[in-house]
Amino acid sequence: MDLNFTEQQQEFQKEVRDFLDENLDTKVSEKVRNGISISKSESEDWHKKLNNKGWLAGPWPEEFGGQDWGVVEKFIFEEECGASGAPRIVPFGVGMLAPVLMKFGSDEQRKHWLPRMLNGEDWWCQGYSEPGSGSDLASLKTTAVKENDYYIVNGQKTWTTFAQHANMIFCLVRTSNEGKPQEGISFLLMDMNSPGIEVRPIITLDGSHEVNEIFFSDVKVPLENLVGEENKGWTYAKYLLTHERTGNANVAISKRKIKKLRKLASETKKNGTALVNDPLFASRLAQIEINLQNLEITNLRTLSSVESGEAPGAESSIIKILGSEIEQDIDNLTRKSLGKRAFINEPDAFSVGYNGPEIEPKAAATASGKYFNHRKKSIYAGSNEIQKNIISKMMLNL
Amino acid sequence: MDLKPSPERQILFDTLTKYFENEYKIADRNTAAHSELGYSKEAWEKMRDLGILESLIDPELNGFGGTPLDISAVFEALGRGLVVEPFLETGLVSTKILGKGNENQKKLVADLLENIALPTFCHSENDTDYRKSYVKTELVPDKEGNFLVTGKKVMIKNASGASHLIITCRSSGDYADEKGITIACIPSNRSGIDIKSFSSIDGGRVSDIHLENVAVLKTEIIGNDGKGFEIISEAIDFGILAICSEALGIMEKIKELTLDYLKTRKQFGVPIGKFQALQHRMAQLLVEIEQARSAVVNATINFFDSNERSSVISAAKFSIGKIGMLVAEESIQLHGGMGMTWEYDLGHYAKRLVLIDHEFGDEDFHLQKYIELQ
Repeated sequence: MDLNFTEQQQEFQKEVRDFLDENLDTKVSEKVRNGISISKSESEDWHKKLNNKGWLAGPWPEEFGGQDWGVVEKFIFEEECGASGAPRIVPFGVGMLAPVLMKFGSDEQRKHWLPRMLNGEDWWCQGYSEPGSGSDLASLKTTAVKENDYYIVNGQKTWTTFAQHANMIFCLVRTSNEGKPQEGISFLLMDMNSPGIEVRPIITLDGSHEVNEIFFSDVKVPLENLVGEENKGWTYAKYLLTHERTGNANVAISKRKIKKLRKLASETKKNGTALVNDPLFASRLAQIEINLQNLEITNLRTLSSVESGEAPGAESSIIKILGSEIEQDIDNLTRKSLGKRAFINEPDAFSVGYNGPEIEPKAAATASGKYFNHRKKSIYAGSNEIQKNIISKMMLNL
Repeated sequence: MDLKPSPERQILFDTLTKYFENEYKIADRNTAAHSELGYSKEAWEKMRDLGILESLIDPELNGFGGTPLDISAVFEALGRGLVVEPFLETGLVSTKILGKGNENQKKLVADLLENIALPTFCHSENDTDYRKSYVKTELVPDKEGNFLVTGKKVMIKNASGASHLIITCRSSGDYADEKGITIACIPSNRSGIDIKSFSSIDGGRVSDIHLENVAVLKTEIIGNDGKGFEIISEAIDFGILAICSEALGIMEKIKELTLDYLKTRKQFGVPIGKFQALQHRMAQLLVEIEQARSAVVNATINFFDSNERSSVISAAKFSIGKIGMLVAEESIQLHGGMGMTWEYDLGHYAKRLVLIDHEFGDEDFHLQKYIELQ
């Protein structure tokens, strides 16, 4: 057993650190550190910087413009980005659709779409959930009917993250009602500017706009935008979901957040002493820290077996459950630590033009908002209950 | 980066696991565990012949192991087997302490390997104060330059069958000071020693030991007078690593037993494992057991990092205490009435798992310690 990186990996780690030092805009990283959504142009700027370095899609094979990173390189890169407060790479294109196109798409599709992901021409969003199809995704009803050179799409998608920024969407649509629900699903690429598409914002508990509803009425989609074979979309979707669920440990981000919480609690007074020394608070904090340390090792153990050739199975479900719960625990304790200051909800306090009263401690501006926003973490990407179903089936064979 | 056990240790673990499965039946184990001695001499000797003791002992003391990785692998296997023979107190903690002693004391390790000595570690004095430095038992010099020991040790494992007692004593300072602790190793038949032994809920025997003006020769002191704390501190940390690994083995075994039960027990016409309420509880156990394993891995690989050891050891013992109780209680619940019976193996594993929290500091003690270290 050995936790150390190889010399080469250590050099890579240093290279990433140096790159972040030089290229990460502190205004952007301050926003990220305080849990504020960054703007579309801030995201695009960051993607461009990464792409110039060749790191926007590090895990991609070299033939498609990637660096062929192994799991450890990917881990190092994400850890360093998480620790420094770099924006997360918007995953829908490079992280989610790209692996599907590489494995199941046509040569033309790969040649056309992959370079556009790298140079920022397209912003992708993901059309999976529908109002009646959440955890039971295979029951989805949005239809695509072949008519001459087009599919005609009708229906509705929901919870679509950043649809307001996107010019493209990949969608699961129903092309057949024969057989099991899973057997009539296809995987389509659509232009968000097509006539008949309407995007309506969904505002979440904290007042923020991340997710949307999308309505499709008689939207024409060229036949060549079908990925793989008709009615095989469920296979591609499952493949994509395993990619979505890896990298959900968020260890570096949680470490950064818990460090910040410890600092906050050492500067906050309770009954005349620092909150961090209050026995009940200290106990809650220590339990989360220990849980997080254990998760860090659990994550590394999984990486280590993937690196030695074992396929990642339901381990990603274990990590998704733990990662989301630990992040929620940190957000919860951060909110509690602020006492009555937790009432404040002023996300603009971190924006350049903010001219409201000063907020002290500044973390109070967004702490409760983030707490409520992050309830999503145990719901999205397969709710934690769905993860337990997967564990029961795949690991326990129940 | 490689977080898997080395092939050699995997073989060691697999060999022991297979041996216990075939040769160490829980029903026989229970008979021995609740006998007057508290374990089976025959089983102990067979396991000694297998080389289990050697794998816990450094090469310089005629063993072939003794590293944190060896200890963790062996104790995980011992946990799976629910082995009640005294590998923890005698095979590991005692030999780690004797290894710091003089030639006679080192020879005791060789004698243990030859099966002509059986030392045990006599340290705890207070039922609820788990501090390593809590030692009141007094060691006073006599006129000849030797010593007399008076005091009481509580809940000592394997004392009734022991040939030698390794006793922590206070030669100076206040009762919880780290300075002023002196270790003595004496034959258990010396006059002034009174051992009262009780049946232990998890098997084996536990004893209270009264010491009254027990003579200790100056050659029977391990290490230097008053400087014993560091020696016992490291030995106890080895003990914590071992008992956490034992707990992990128990949890894995409980997981298998419970899964098996969920797949075979039928109610309402289907195996009860088809019910989502039970599936989710079982999935949660699996998630927690993986975290417990990570805690043990973390303690193992950082054991010799002097900045980290106390913290990772306490984090591990805390995690094992918390998760161990969950696994014990949930597995009994998932077994329904069967989990309550003496006849079925599960309950015996669950008892040991719960009582492990009472050894070397419980969940709360180690959480507090972890907090103090931050």
